[in-house]
Amino acid sequence: MRDFEFLEPADVAEASRMLAAHGEDCRAYAGGTALLLALRQRLVAPTHLVSLGRIPALSGVRFDAAAGLRIGALTRHAELAAAPEVLRHYPMLAGMAAHLANPQVRNQGTLGGNLCYADPATDPPTCLLGLDAEVEIASARGTRRLPIGDFFVDYYTTALAPDEILVAVHVPPPAADAIGRYTRFLRTPAEHRPLVNVAVTARRSGGAATAVRVAVGASTPIPARVPRAEALLEGRAVTAELAAAAAAAAADDIFAVSDGRGDEAYRRAMVRVVLRRTLAALFDLPGE
Amino acid sequence: MGKHLITLTVNGRAEEAEIPAKRLLCDLLRDDLMLTGTKRGCETGTCGACSVIVDGRLVKSCLMLALQARGAAVTTVEGLAAPGELSPLQQCFAENGGLQCGYCTPGFLMAASALLAQNPGPTEAQVREALDGNLCRCTGYSGIVASVLAAAEKLRGH
Ligand SMILES: Cc1cc2nc3c(=O)[nH]c(=O)nc-3n(C[C@H](O)[C@H](O)[C@H](O)COP(=O)(O)OP(=O)(O)OC[C@H]3O[C@@H](n4cnc5c(N)ncnc54)[C@H](O)[C@@H]3O)c2cc1C
Repeated sequence: MRDFEFLEPADVAEASRMLAAHGEDCRAYAGGTALLLALRQRLVAPTHLVSLGRIPALSGVRFDAAAGLRIGALTRHAELAAAPEVLRHYPMLAGMAAHLANPQVRNQGTLGGNLCYADPATDPPTCLLGLDAEVEIASARGTRRLPIGDFFVDYYTTALAPDEILVAVHVPPPAADAIGRYTRFLRTPAEHRPLVNVAVTARRSGGAATAVRVAVGASTPIPARVPRAEALLEGRAVTAELAAAAAAAAADDIFAVSDGRGDEAYRRAMVRVVLRRTLAALFDLPGE
Repeated sequence: MGKHLITLTVNGRAEEAEIPAKRLLCDLLRDDLMLTGTKRGCETGTCGACSVIVDGRLVKSCLMLALQARGAAVTTVEGLAAPGELSPLQQCFAENGGLQCGYCTPGFLMAASALLAQNPGPTEAQVREALDGNLCRCTGYSGIVASVLAAAEKLRGH
């Protein structure tokens, strides 16, 4: 690994100016769990790292009944999993964060670093797409917000401009009748990264499901919603047959990747099974 | 590239070192401070042999720059007991077949210490979950899990 300058700006504007000044030779640095591996493999060889650790605006988890949840980009996975307001209002998110990777990586890796690295085989992107989250992005030029679905562009590629920093993730307040479930499927327990993941959220009013969101990831270059599956479930009382039909639609419709961890046919088959089981658990369907 | 002077506390002792920015925490411990109990294993964050505790958090020291531990209190396997002695946890590893070649052991001891500090009465499932970031390639996990459960009981005074 090549040596580098380690810069420690005190606020977002200063960090942004540093990133702009050093361009391609510069990277933001949060926990380092993803970037250090890339540095050691010489996938990148920056001359400057801009550490975000001293920027207070990137920290903290806050809940407000009207505005929802704000998760600072520097929040570590373990902190997200243990935050009382997350456990209480977003159990699906807390449960996701409690089980990704392994205990050490959860104590070191940040949510912001996870999202900005945009590695497809990870958990938060799919879960946050299911929860209709937005990202707050800032630079010395100003601040903007994007739906998380627009933040991911392709494998390891986000909508961040070189001088931009992810400041926080916002999750809307949950409706009183909101339900949701996130499932990760691993090929073997020793392989920490998900092969397939699925997030489903809905409102359950009476017998019917409304505002249904179905997000699939890990087997796709970026997490994606599945409109045909959502339309099948929307406004209906979800039955085992309907769940199976929605799961089959998702397996057909996604852009499935094919690589050493699983070929396309296997990944589609697992998407079908995992989504069907997730729907069964979410809607208390018998027979799974 | 400039050097950085860093100070931190390791196993209760104030330490100081002059290092390049790229120095990993595991290398600071092993090569600058000569605390070779912490092992470098896979160096990709998978095996956990380099696990240490930084300000109460269990971390993989190969996935962290030494600069990130500035001012922190670090505990390594050398800090578990006085030289020549074994802590109750270490004693339980010895008594319950918790190690064979011993290379992964410092990492398992640190992961188990972090668990027991937070949860003195873990279930077997909780022990297995807490050890999920550590790999053993010779003895298998049954003896290790039994060692941690035995240590928990011993430390609770049974
Ligand atoms: C062994 C191992 C197993 C893993 N398993 C899983 C798993 O099962 N599920 C899962 O979801 N994840 C998994 N991960 C990935 C883990 O979640 C990420 O490595 C971690 O969250 C990255 O955060 P970081 O703070 O360490 O990022 P860093 O390494 O500091 O940064 C990562 C990238 O994001 C950029 N960046 C960081 N923060 C910002 C910001 N605020 N604004 C702009 N750019 C930024 C950096 O420039 C860099 O390019 C695993 C990682 C390891 C090492």
